Amino acid sequence: MSRSRVVSIFVVAAVALATGFLVAGQVKVQLLTPSNQVARYQALVRSVQQLEASNADSRQKIAALRSQIDALEAIAAQRSAATQALQNQVADLRAHAGLTTLRGPGVEVDLANGVPGLDSSSEPGYLVNFKDVQDLVNLLFARGAEGIAVNGRRITPLSAFSGSEGQVIIDQGPPVTAPIRLSAVGDRNRMEAALSDPSALSDIRAREVQFQLQVSFSGGPDLALPAYDSSLDTRHVGTL
Amino acid sequence: MSARSRATGRSPRASSRAIGVWLIALLVAIVATVQIRSQAEVERSFTGTDTTSLAFLIDDLHRANDSLAAETADLTQRQATLKSGSDSAADQVLTDEANRLRAAEGLVPVHGPGVVVVVSAAGLLALDLQDALNNLGVGGAEAIEVNDRRVVVGVPVEQTPGGVTIGGVLVPPPWTISAIGDANRLAQAADLMTQQMRADRRVRQATYRVEADVVIRAVVTARPFVYGTGP
Repeated sequence: MSRSRVVSIFVVAAVALATGFLVAGQVKVQLLTPSNQVARYQALVRSVQQLEASNADSRQKIAALRSQIDALEAIAAQRSAATQALQNQVADLRAHAGLTTLRGPGVEVDLANGVPGLDSSSEPGYLVNFKDVQDLVNLLFARGAEGIAVNGRRITPLSAFSGSEGQVIIDQGPPVTAPIRLSAVGDRNRMEAALSDPSALSDIRAREVQFQLQVSFSGGPDLALPAYDSSLDTRHVGTL
Repeated sequence: MSARSRATGRSPRASSRAIGVWLIALLVAIVATVQIRSQAEVERSFTGTDTTSLAFLIDDLHRANDSLAAETADLTQRQATLKSGSDSAADQVLTDEANRLRAAEGLVPVHGPGVVVVVSAAGLLALDLQDALNNLGVGGAEAIEVNDRRVVVGVPVEQTPGGVTIGGVLVPPPWTISAIGDANRLAQAADLMTQQMRADRRVRQATYRVEADVVIRAVVTARPFVYGTGP
């Protein structure tokens, strides 16, 4: 057998072997993810996208309606001193509920995901989660914040945080993921001192070390918080 | 045959073998491309969220959008009342809004359907109470009280050497947490929460009951803004 014939047989054998592996891999992928499974997933993603678009539309509509109602109330208040007094009370209550914009000195806290640990079975501690946001909001309010917004979503007296893994859901908004920025207006010095305190935010501090979770903050003399643009639901409570 | 013709010429058998090798190489390239693209597609589509999480997210978004639709309808009605132009209508709209906001901010005593959760434990921390309050908030709580202390977001729930404080006042366990809101949703939240608490060694007892009329008398003291200014 000539040398070139032997070489060509080896080449053909190697190519055939590679083909076999690739075909097997392809079949395996198709078995793992049948087309209907992918289609189902894509349908779910489309549903989420449609619902998020509808959510954004509704929140825009609510913001516009609140603005129009403000204007109508202002017109009514010009006609009567009693209405004017009522409007002033409501304006103050709205400000404290987060329904109006707020400006002032404060801090901005930035949270970003870390890197996955080697132990894949552990909780995804490298991801920023809703409890991190909840803990920061509680800390900032306890240390002088008068108003807080998370990625542009204003926190109200009835705000709640939920989500899974790296998703953070605040009230009726769509989920947000890291990087997350909390902006807080209030006593800047107290808030900065609290954020610098190594004994505060113990879980976040531990994950900074373990997963390189990224937390940073900076103070500012004039921060602006947007108004809350969702529902402040009190349908079930009645005053005594 | 000359040496030259041997070096440059090819027999039909050799040519067909070369074509065969090229065809196989082409096939390998095609299969490899399909394989790599297919894997990339799979990885891309499954990045981030699994289908169960997506299903929960859809459920949450449906509920959120329903709530936003209800708020839109309420605001539209208020707008129409104000457009009617009468002073009494404007006063009524403003009075209703003031009452609603005072309830939301915890400034007035309130009542309504809801749940009462009782947690008897030793060693629970402020973080545990914050989590419990947040769980009820996610479950739609519109007013919450713990051991006769009103809680809204912004009222500090803190850990001190003496124990957990709410607004600077010590609240030793057992904790009686009253929450007003949609009783069905709150019951689901309370059920899940008390189950999880009972699995905690520090917790001796965690129960809840649904009540048609929970009364919350504690109130929060209004704090004027010192640093922030409105629009």
